[in-house]
Amino acid sequence: MPIPGAIYGLFSDPSSAERGMDALSRAGIRPDRIVVMSAEPFDEYSFSKMDEATPMPWLAAIGGIVGGTCGFLLARLTQEGYPFPLITGGMPLLAAWPTGIVTYELTMLGAVLTTVVTLLITTRLPNWKPKLYDPEVANGKILIGVLEPSDATRTEIEGRLLAAGAEQVKTTVGDVAS
Amino acid sequence: MTAKTPEQITNDLLRPLSGISARYVFWAALLAGIAVAALCAFLYQVYSGLGVSGLRSPVFWGFYITNFVFWIGLSHAGTLISAILRLANATWRRPVTRCAEVITVFALSIGATFPIIHLGRPWLAFFLFPYPSERGLWPNIRSPLLWDFFAINTYLISSVTFLLLPMVPDFALVRDRAAGWKKKIYSALALGWTGTPKQWHRLETAMHIMAIAVIPVAVSVHSIVSWDFAMAPVPMWHSTIFAPYFVAGAIFSGIAALILAMALLRKLLHLEEYLLPIHFENLGKLLLVMSLLWFYFVFAERLTTWYGNEPSEMAVFWVTQHGSYAPLFWAMVSCNFLIPFPLLAIKKLRTITGTAIASFTVVIGMWLERFLIIVPSLSHKYLPYRWGTYRPTWVEITITAGTFCTMVLLYMIFSKIVPVISVWELKAGRHEEPHALRLARQPDQVEAD
Amino acid sequence: MAHQWGMAIDLDRCNGCEACVVACHAENNISTVGEEQAALSRAKHWIRVERYYEGEFPDVRVKFTPVLCQQCDAAPCEPVCPTFASYHTSEGLNGQVYNRCIGTRYCANACPYVVRYFNFYNPIWEKPLQLQLNPDVSVREEGVMEKCTFCVQRIKAREIQAAAEKRELRDGEIQPACVQSCPTRAMVFGDLGDPESEVSRLARSSRATKLLGELGTRPKVNYLPRDSWHDSENA
Repeated sequence: MPIPGAIYGLFSDPSSAERGMDALSRAGIRPDRIVVMSAEPFDEYSFSKMDEATPMPWLAAIGGIVGGTCGFLLARLTQEGYPFPLITGGMPLLAAWPTGIVTYELTMLGAVLTTVVTLLITTRLPNWKPKLYDPEVANGKILIGVLEPSDATRTEIEGRLLAAGAEQVKTTVGDVAS
Repeated sequence: MTAKTPEQITNDLLRPLSGISARYVFWAALLAGIAVAALCAFLYQVYSGLGVSGLRSPVFWGFYITNFVFWIGLSHAGTLISAILRLANATWRRPVTRCAEVITVFALSIGATFPIIHLGRPWLAFFLFPYPSERGLWPNIRSPLLWDFFAINTYLISSVTFLLLPMVPDFALVRDRAAGWKKKIYSALALGWTGTPKQWHRLETAMHIMAIAVIPVAVSVHSIVSWDFAMAPVPMWHSTIFAPYFVAGAIFSGIAALILAMALLRKLLHLEEYLLPIHFENLGKLLLVMSLLWFYFVFAERLTTWYGNEPSEMAVFWVTQHGSYAPLFWAMVSCNFLIPFPLLAIKKLRTITGTAIASFTVVIGMWLERFLIIVPSLSHKYLPYRWGTYRPTWVEITITAGTFCTMVLLYMIFSKIVPVISVWELKAGRHEEPHALRLARQPDQVEAD
Repeated sequence: MAHQWGMAIDLDRCNGCEACVVACHAENNISTVGEEQAALSRAKHWIRVERYYEGEFPDVRVKFTPVLCQQCDAAPCEPVCPTFASYHTSEGLNGQVYNRCIGTRYCANACPYVVRYFNFYNPIWEKPLQLQLNPDVSVREEGVMEKCTFCVQRIKAREIQAAAEKRELRDGEIQPACVQSCPTRAMVFGDLGDPESEVSRLARSSRATKLLGELGTRPKVNYLPRDSWHDSENA
C-alpha cells in the first residue's frame, strides 16, 4: 500500500499548536485528513479534541459478563464432575461461595483482557509502519499536519502553518506502490 | 521541576538507560550469585525431598508460606498507590506510579513461585490447573488454594497490563533516541506508537478502566490468601478478622516497599529533582495511617482472643506474647509501630531518610508478622501431645535471601531498560493540573491560553 | 445400606504396649525414618499412643490414648485439598489418593488431630527388609501425604470375598492391623451403620466420647475412657 505524502508543522508549545490547528480548519481541510502527534497527551487543548468517544467501558463491562459466565460455568461443570461425577460419600457437591469467588475473579479478568484487546484494536496497534511519524515528536514537538494534500493547497498550508508559529514545516513524498 | 523543558525532562529520565557503571555490574553480579544459589538450593530440595527444609509435624508450613504471603502482600504497593491515586486525581502521584507498578509485578511474580517451591511434588503443580484430564478429575474449588490460583493469576495479568500499557509511549520515546539493535528492540516494544490524540484517549480510558478493575482484584487477592489460613480449624487462624487484616497489612508493607524503592532510586539514579521530599512526606503520612491501622487490627484481634479465653487459642496467645516467640513478637511490634510511629508522626522527622528508615523497619516487621501468624499457631494446635517447634534450615534461608536479591536485581535490570518515572505522565501533569484548577475556579470562562 | 466403618477404643483396656503401632507399620508399608528424623517429629506413626502422666510419684496415673485418623464425617482435611487427594468414600472413610497428592500439606494443617503424615524423604527399607513389604498396599514416594486408612485393603479384600461367596459380612470379620494385634482387645472395628454390631453397641455406651468432638468434625472413633472426661482432673 503506498504511504501517502503529507505536509506538517512542528510546534514547540501547545498554544502555537492550537493556532496551527485553527489555521488548518479555517483553510477548509477535512478533519479526517488532519494528523496530530505529540509525546504527551494534551487533553485540555482543542487540537486534541478528536476521537474521544469510545465504547471501551461498555465493552469492558460486556467482557466482564462474559468472563463471569465462563467462571461460573467452569466452577459448576468442574464441581458437578463433568464428565464423571465424584464420589464424595454423600458430601454436598456444589459449593456456592467458591463458585462465587471463581466467577468474580474471571469477571475481573474478562474486563481487563477486553480492555486491553479493545485498546489494541481501536488504536490499530501494533502498527510498526505508521502512515506518518517524525522523531522530533520525541523531543517534545507537537506535530500538526495534513495527509495527502492536493498539490494546489500545499503552499497555502505551508504558509498557514508557519504563520501560526511552526518551528519547521516538512513535507513527505508518498511512495509509489512498486 | 517546573522550570524544566520537556526535552530536559526526557533527558534526565532517560539518562539511566544508557551506560552501565562498574558498581552496577558488581552489585548485579553479587545479587545474581545469591539468586543462583537459591535456585540451586531449590533444585537440591526437589532432588532430595522436603526433608532438607526445617518443616516437620505439626508445623507443615514455614518460611516458604511466610515468603509467599509476604511477597503477595508487598505487591499491593503498585495497585493501591497507582490505581487509587489515579482515581483520586492526586497530582503528586505522577513520578511514583511506575515505581509502584513495577514493585507489584516483580513481587507478585516472586510470590507466585512459592506455592510451587513449597510443594512436595512440584513437578505435578499443573494438577492445580483446570484441564480436562483422562481421569475425569478437576481441581477442588472448595480449596482456598484454588482460589489463590485464580486470584493470583488474575491479579498478575491485570498488573502486568497495568504496567505495560503506559510504558508504550515511553518505549516510543526511547525508540526515537536509540540506534542500532536497541532501536530495533524498542521499536518492537513501542508497537508503532505515534502519539495521535486517538491513541492517547484510548490509552487513558483503558488506564482508567483498569485502575477501577484492579482495586477490587487486589483486595480479593489478599483476602483469598488470608483465607488459606482462616479456613482451617487451627487456633488463632480461624478468625473473621483475617481478610481485612491481611489486606491492610499488604497495603502497609507495599507502601513501605515503595518508599524504600523510591529512596534508593532517587539516590542512585540522581532523580533528586523528580522524587521530591513532598512525595516522601505524602507517602510517609499514608504509611503512618497504615501503621496505626495495623496496630488497631492486631490490638482488636488479640483483645478478643484474650477475652474469649479459649484454652487452645490462649496457648498460642501466650507463647507468642510471653513464650518462645516473644522476642520475635516484640520485635515485630517495634518494627511495625513503635519505631515508625515517631519517625512518621513528627513532621521534622518525616524526611526522606526518616521515611526510608521507617519503611525498612516496616518491611522487616511485616515479614515477621507473616511468620508469627503461621508458625506459633501451627506449633500449638488442639492436642498438646503434638505441639512442636520449627527451625529453618540453610535451604529455606538461602531461598528467602535469594528472593530478596532477585527482587532488587529485577528492579536494577528494569531501571536500565525502561525509565522508572513515567515520562509522558510527568510531562502531562505540568499542564493538566493548572488547567483543571483554572476550570474549577472559573468554569464559564474556559480558555486555553 | 452402605457400611459406615467405625471404631471403638476402650481406654480402660489400653496398656500402652504399642503393638498396634508396630502392626500398622508392618501392614501398611510405613518406613521408619531414623533417629535424627524422628527427633524432628517426622516419624510416620499412622496410629500413635499418646501418653499423659497425672499426679506425683507414688500416685502417678498414666493415661494412654491411641490416636489414629478419625475418618471424620465432616473432615476439615477434605475441602482444603486442591486436588481431591483427600476425599470421602461412600463407606464413610476419608480416603487418601497418593497419586493425586502434590504435597501442599494443607490437609495436615487443617487436621486438628495431627494424624496426617508427610513423606519428607523417599522411604527406605534396608535390604533385606524390603522383602516384608505388603503387596496389597502401595509404597508412597517423597512429597506425598499419608495417614491411617482403617486398613482399607483388608476391608476391600473381605468385601470382595463376601460378594464372591454371596453372603453378608459378619461383624468382626474385618480387622485392621491395629485391632487384630491389640493384646487386650481394646480396639473394636465394625459397621456403625449396623445397630447390632459390637462397635455400635460400644458407641452407645455411657462412657463413649469423641476426641475433640466439640470442633464439629464428627469423628468415627469412639473412645471409652477409664472414667468420664468430666470427672478426671483437667490438665
